[in-house]
Amino acid sequence: MAGGKKSQLSGPAPSSRTLVIDNGANTIKAGFASEDNEPRIIPNCIARDRHRKTFVGSELDKCKDFGEIAFRRPVEKGYIVNWEAQKEIWDREFFDEKAPQKCDPADARLVLAEHSNSLPALQTHCDQMVFEEFGFASYCRGPGPALNAYNDVQAIFQTPRPPETVVEYPAEVMLVVDSGYSHTTVTPVLQGRPLHQAVRRLDVGGKLMTNYLTRLLSVRHFDMRNDTYVVNEMKEAACYISLDFKGDLEKTWKGTRGERRLDYLSGAGIAKDYVLPDSHTRFHGVVREYEPGVSAKARKGAVSTEDVLTLRNERFVVPELLFHPSDIGMHQPGLGDLVMQSLSELPIGLWPGLLANIVVVGGNALFENFIQRLQTEVLQRVPDACIVRVARAQDPIACTWVGAANFARHAHVETLAVTKQEYEEHGSAWVARKFALGLGVDCDPTG
Amino acid sequence: MNNFGVIEVAGGKTTRAPGWAYVPDVGPSPAQALQPTNRKGRAARNQAGPSAADVSARQDAKIRKELEALDRDTNKDVNIPIPPKVGGSRAQTNKHTPNVRKILQSQKTFANYLDDYQALLALAETNPAAAAALNPANAAPPKAAPPSTARNSPAPPPPEPKSTAASKRSAAAAKRAAAKEAKEAEEAAAAKAKAEAKPKAPEPLAESKDEDPPQSYPPDGTILPAYQKPPPPAHPSDNDPLLVSRIPPFPSDGELRALMTAPPLSYLEARGTWGGEETGYPTRVFCEVCGYWGRVRCMKCGARVCALDCLEMHKAECVTRYGL
Repeated sequence: MAGGKKSQLSGPAPSSRTLVIDNGANTIKAGFASEDNEPRIIPNCIARDRHRKTFVGSELDKCKDFGEIAFRRPVEKGYIVNWEAQKEIWDREFFDEKAPQKCDPADARLVLAEHSNSLPALQTHCDQMVFEEFGFASYCRGPGPALNAYNDVQAIFQTPRPPETVVEYPAEVMLVVDSGYSHTTVTPVLQGRPLHQAVRRLDVGGKLMTNYLTRLLSVRHFDMRNDTYVVNEMKEAACYISLDFKGDLEKTWKGTRGERRLDYLSGAGIAKDYVLPDSHTRFHGVVREYEPGVSAKARKGAVSTEDVLTLRNERFVVPELLFHPSDIGMHQPGLGDLVMQSLSELPIGLWPGLLANIVVVGGNALFENFIQRLQTEVLQRVPDACIVRVARAQDPIACTWVGAANFARHAHVETLAVTKQEYEEHGSAWVARKFALGLGVDCDPTG
Repeated sequence: MNNFGVIEVAGGKTTRAPGWAYVPDVGPSPAQALQPTNRKGRAARNQAGPSAADVSARQDAKIRKELEALDRDTNKDVNIPIPPKVGGSRAQTNKHTPNVRKILQSQKTFANYLDDYQALLALAETNPAAAAALNPANAAPPKAAPPSTARNSPAPPPPEPKSTAASKRSAAAAKRAAAKEAKEAEEAAAAKAKAEAKPKAPEPLAESKDEDPPQSYPPDGTILPAYQKPPPPAHPSDNDPLLVSRIPPFPSDGELRALMTAPPLSYLEARGTWGGEETGYPTRVFCEVCGYWGRVRCMKCGARVCALDCLEMHKAECVTRYGL
């Protein structure tokens, strides 16, 4: 294929393997485009537990006791900021002798998914590191949300279609809602190209919600401020998005002084008990049904070995921040408004297509009822005649990676990839410009 | 007199009485109306309560501090050094290029980079040449829309970020871009020739959008091609005027091109904008103790609680923080 290879004078044959990395703030999703169908998920952190033992990246799997564990994360706000730590993690996962996904950069292409609206300085650093430090033969950096268009989007929506249909990448039109650890973005994508003017961000992500739950628990139960990992597990296991916020809040209220409401006593199906890990026999928390009638004191007396928290409105107040960030005083719109702000940048003729193809990716999509709630919120705001379809990718965490891997196998990657020779010839500013322009329009839309 | 510091929320009517009042309560920050305006009455009780401004400043500061805390990765400032590798493979990694060494040694956080970026933007506005000299990679106009795209798309007025980006373009950078465009034009001409010979081949360079686009494709609906497959089977009431669906006019190809080639927004421009309370629904307030609706406000600090139980718990904390 012609493509970006033409200035490669006497270079080696096209890179034999393509390493695809979706470098998230919480986890790295990585794999080889030619061999893997799903990525390996690597914690993107350097962690230190209370015995001052340090774990880098996937070594965290060996860690048993997550009490008081502290993290250092190379990615801040979704962008790689601290390359000292990031290099260490990448080295151990990909480049060292005994790395689990051994890769020889001199003979490989790197496809790296990044978040939109990055700072130019950080992008330049990234390019410089990839070529000057790791020495990849060829490299392509693209906006992660847009790479989701290289998934089989209609399969996500279960659109009826004849079974012999050939899936064409990229999807023609879709609206990607990417709700991750650092933030939540809304990206309209047309033929695999993000519509940059309409990309919008909400600074609510998994981290903020975990921290918020930590604060609520520390006020109401125990001081959990040094146990973020435990609280995060709790959030993932117990939190859900309420479809009837007012009603649920009413059910979880204890009542005025002296009064104990029936719903409060019975739990009303909302209250759950969460058994905290004790770091001896139990290393992960467990969600249990709430046992009405047994007061916390009585339970404490009977089984003194376990610490039990009763979660009530914490279960749905925390993810509610996605839709009402102003609940904690943030001056930002909720996700429904954010979608509308993004759409308002676009001609109305595109709305039907975008609204009928809203795909939610990212770890927060795993919250129960996220899809239904987002659908309701969007429906309330758009004209009646619009069909709104919201769907969650089969594996929302890996979805961007799968899209990026499909992209790496697609002809489009050749137009965008930059070789090491080109980098050395034209410099990092040229590379940055090329990636900023993206695929452009005149590249064949269907490949 | 013992009113537990409670101000009951009431309708729009204000009734004044010594010591307590029914006041309209709007929004999360205590309005001026919250405090009894009868200064004489207060002087008579010889009570130096905090003014409304004090209370709202306290609340604002508290919210700001809490948001900062929520944004942090760890509760305590931890400094985890990179653990040494087993086998001493460190030694060979010492020879970095100057760029890499600079990046690796940088201890900057995202906030630092963001500040730098904003400073650069400010400098580019006041003194473009200096900014370009300072940081050629970033001051160059990769992010600004090339003028040719703007000309091709008459329909949507370019959103304001584009124009600001364009204004930031420095003279030096523009000159460089012009040189680049000339070079690209050559390449594009070659590419166009190739594309005409074999229309399905992908264009070799993404930048070739600087050329006049419409030649390579038929003029209508090329970015989103028309639906080719057979339409669904006809239904007797397809022509029923009550059931007919109205579809907004589809944007022209030129519009789509402009949208797809528009430059990315900067980090701050991409953040969702908050209309404030005037445009949207009023902000909801919650009990700081139990999380139910915050129906009652503490007179000392402005915090919200739901009822007397929670108010008492709050008072204990409030007293330690602000004194009696």
